[in-house]
Amino acid sequence: MKNAVSGLGLAPDAARVTFPIDLFLPGSDITPVQTRRHEFYDGLTRWQPDFVQAASGAAGAMLAVEGASYEDALVKANNLLIANLWGDGLPLWPATKERVDWILRGTAFPRAHRIGKFPPRGGIATVESCAIALAMAGGRPEYLPVLVAAVDAFLDPASDSEQLQAASGSAFPVVIVNGPVGRQIRLNSGFGCLGPDPQRPAGASIGRALRLMQQNVGGALPGIGTMANYGGMRYTNAVFAEDEDSLPAGWQPHATERHGFAPGSNSISLVFANGAANIRRRGAKKETPEEDALQGMHRMAAFMRTPNMAALPGYENGTPGILMIPGVVAQTMAGLGWSKRSMREFFWQHSKIPAEHLRRAGCPAWIEIDANPMTRESLKLDPWPITSRPENFVLIVAGGGHPTNSYWLQGYCPRVIGREIRVPESFDRLLAEADRDLGCGLEACVI
Amino acid sequence: MFKLEFHDPSGAIEAEQPHAPRLPSVAGRRIGFVSNEQWQAYRMLPLLKAVLEQDFPGIEVLPLNAFPQGNARIGEEETARLVKQSGVDAVIIGNAA
Repeated sequence: MKNAVSGLGLAPDAARVTFPIDLFLPGSDITPVQTRRHEFYDGLTRWQPDFVQAASGAAGAMLAVEGASYEDALVKANNLLIANLWGDGLPLWPATKERVDWILRGTAFPRAHRIGKFPPRGGIATVESCAIALAMAGGRPEYLPVLVAAVDAFLDPASDSEQLQAASGSAFPVVIVNGPVGRQIRLNSGFGCLGPDPQRPAGASIGRALRLMQQNVGGALPGIGTMANYGGMRYTNAVFAEDEDSLPAGWQPHATERHGFAPGSNSISLVFANGAANIRRRGAKKETPEEDALQGMHRMAAFMRTPNMAALPGYENGTPGILMIPGVVAQTMAGLGWSKRSMREFFWQHSKIPAEHLRRAGCPAWIEIDANPMTRESLKLDPWPITSRPENFVLIVAGGGHPTNSYWLQGYCPRVIGREIRVPESFDRLLAEADRDLGCGLEACVI
Repeated sequence: MFKLEFHDPSGAIEAEQPHAPRLPSVAGRRIGFVSNEQWQAYRMLPLLKAVLEQDFPGIEVLPLNAFPQGNARIGEEETARLVKQSGVDAVIIGNAA
């Protein structure tokens, strides 16, 4: 509650009466509202805010610890970060002046450049605060342009991050990178692209830095600033590149299709998701290529055909989810005449839910209270499309060069937000330094 | 001793506006409800309306449907406009969970 009030530009406290969760459940005993009614009356008459400062946590504030050695000081710094609720349970690099200044070499913006107000707490996100988070997350200067673009997209009001940061549905941002910058900064687009990879470590640092900003600047602490029941994928969020080298002829990059960015330009696309499922796509025995493709398409559509009411805010213009297919599968599908467009059309048609299935699961009540008239109107359709149009499906070519699996990131996303990435003039030098620091050149790392 | 200095990662907070001034008393006032219709608000807020009317003779408590209801509506500018237009002295907002 304090977070939400602060995010609205008010002092970060408010008159409120709090009850245990039991009171808010169906069939609860609500007599405590009556017995504690004087707390409501006090809130209307006698309450005064504790917070009297015009601003707190001023940008540039420094902390200090002392230890018998560097290692001792590092431990104390990590303890202090955890004690102040600024950590994630994993070791952190303290954001020293030297480390933050080093990372700021990766931006074309002034360090004080204001990106926006981070909900729900309302902390001010600047390029410097991005660099601080990236420093803590073990990042490097060449990662900063992607993080700044991602934070800018995150704070776009159309993303609805104000709600999603705090909501119980465990939304996490997925950052899809298009353009040469993905390969240049060692972002993964292949094997294990949603997980740890020492050959391509950028996604972990960028995603972890974004999460630290969500928590430290935005106040999304579990059970305090975010009511996320589970909080999955939130250590590093999901940051990866589309495997553009494996796009079949005629298939456009995601950023071009969705946002109109020129092929070959550097950009990010931010999607909120709240589920992740691996799909056994490949057939098992003696299917023909056509049967293998079609059966896999049906299997993927079946994963989508679920009453995901969290997708309703994105029914008109957002996305029901991100489907990731490996490049080898994309090439096979293209060889059989499929395109991204025809695959989306198939998914839209075959993920529709019979009205009877919606009814028995209580979904009409959710659809009826949606703010968007188009969504409410969709209730007349039987079977019910899980999204208003095929174009809303996000289809990405990414993942290891192996045909067995695809991946479905379930959407919780009112809008898919795109941003171009701006790199500094010194970017080539930063990339050369990364080659020097990280050992093998990128090409030598390719499996 | 080794000293390690590092940045506070929490960023600045700006308090741009004060909270509304409190009322000297609820008696004789006009009170409204802004309800998200969730978390038993449809039961709890009417109970609160009843006890307000019982405890403060002369109070006017607007019905729950005086303003748009539901999570999707209560944060809209139009709702704020309607609240101001109604001339209420205070509003109670619920329910969060």
